[in-house]
Amino acid sequence: MQITVDRDAGRIAVAGEFTFNDHSQFKQMIIELFEAKGSTITIDLSKLEFIDSAGLGMLLLARDEARKNDRQLILKRPGGQVKRMFCVTKFNTLFTVEE
Amino acid sequence: MLPWKRRRVAPPIAHDPEAPQPLQPDRSLDVELLQKWMSLARMQQRVIRTLVSEIQQTSAVVETEAEALSGRFQRLAVCAEQQTARVESLSKLAIGIQIDEEVVPIDRIAGLLEDTLSDVVEKILHLSKDSMSMVYALNELNANVGRVHNCMAELNGINRTTNMLALNARIEAERSGTAGAAFRVVANEVRDLSRATHDLSISMNGELKAVTEGIASGHTTLQRVATIDMSQNLMAKDRLEVLMSALIRRTEMLTSVVADAVKEAEVIAADVEGMVTGIQFQDRARQRLEHVVDTLHVVDQALDELKSATEGRLPEASGESSFDVEWVTRLLDRFTLGELRSRFVAQILEGKQAADLDDEAAIRVEPSASGSVELF
Repeated sequence: MQITVDRDAGRIAVAGEFTFNDHSQFKQMIIELFEAKGSTITIDLSKLEFIDSAGLGMLLLARDEARKNDRQLILKRPGGQVKRMFCVTKFNTLFTVEE
Repeated sequence: MLPWKRRRVAPPIAHDPEAPQPLQPDRSLDVELLQKWMSLARMQQRVIRTLVSEIQQTSAVVETEAEALSGRFQRLAVCAEQQTARVESLSKLAIGIQIDEEVVPIDRIAGLLEDTLSDVVEKILHLSKDSMSMVYALNELNANVGRVHNCMAELNGINRTTNMLALNARIEAERSGTAGAAFRVVANEVRDLSRATHDLSISMNGELKAVTEGIASGHTTLQRVATIDMSQNLMAKDRLEVLMSALIRRTEMLTSVVADAVKEAEVIAADVEGMVTGIQFQDRARQRLEHVVDTLHVVDQALDELKSATEGRLPEASGESSFDVEWVTRLLDRFTLGELRSRFVAQILEGKQAADLDDEAAIRVEPSASGSVELF
């Protein structure tokens, strides 16, 4: 997975495939974002092609971490397989998902 | 004998002296005319008898065919009734699936499946989240163990230094002789302490190694669990939802079709029932034809009696009148059924008796499986 972080805007853009192998990189990215200021963290998923169950689990952990830090985690523009997975798991009831 | 016949044919009329005397035309012409009337009467009798025979045969054919048709319609009525029952049974099957004594509708099954799958999906999500949480926790623990390893290395360094100090102190105590006795005791204690610390350090290293190996093993196992991609299992819910939607649509269509079929089956059953009743017309037709035949018999009998009364007073005529043969031939030419025409020719023109043709007729009145009728 390729990650682009904009700390000032509290925004991350991810591309490629989000799987278990990306857990260290993802955690590091989240820690960095929580150190930055701002009430929301946005993850742009428009270029993410695939997500597995471990990836979904990491997003849920990130959401819990955001709540602990009084932040809101927003998932933006999921498409393809990612969107179908969100639909099946009803992720829109767990996150704020923006099209 | 019929009353009208007694009045008109009675012989006293000719001997009544007070009766008005008819004109006395040419007697030979009268005889010729009477012979023509007699010939016509004979021909009419043949026609009447042939018609009687034909009516009886036709009545028998109608009776037999009607009975056969009635039987078929009754069987059809039973089949239609059974068919209606089957279609109604099918409608129950179309609505849902029978479980024990209860018919569970398809949409309810779809709802149950949806709830079950949603529960499974939720558990998979929890499992994935908890697995990743454990992975992160174990990573932290691994880092902690690494730091403990560093501490142990530092402890070993300190212990080596302490051991060296104890050794140096012992050397210095030996050099000091008696004055260094107390110092020697302290040096020995420090050396024992260093040995004990060293032994403890070895023991702790062993325990730490076991913990490290346990964490590594747990990490490997957890990684194996966490890397199992459940996305296909999650997507199975998506596929099953599509399948269930299709199944519900199919069930709705089937229910609609079966409902139409039930209505049509009921209409067919009612129609067949009506036909079974309607086919009973042959009883009434037979009774009417019997009256017609009876009437024709009476007419035939009257003609017979008139013929008998007249023939005795006329000279014998030579054969059939050509006039009668002509009108009968013209009549027969109008017949389109060859079989019927043959019988009429045999009975009217050739003078054969209907009884001679009964065997052949009997064969013809047998109901045919195909119900075929000769048209020309």
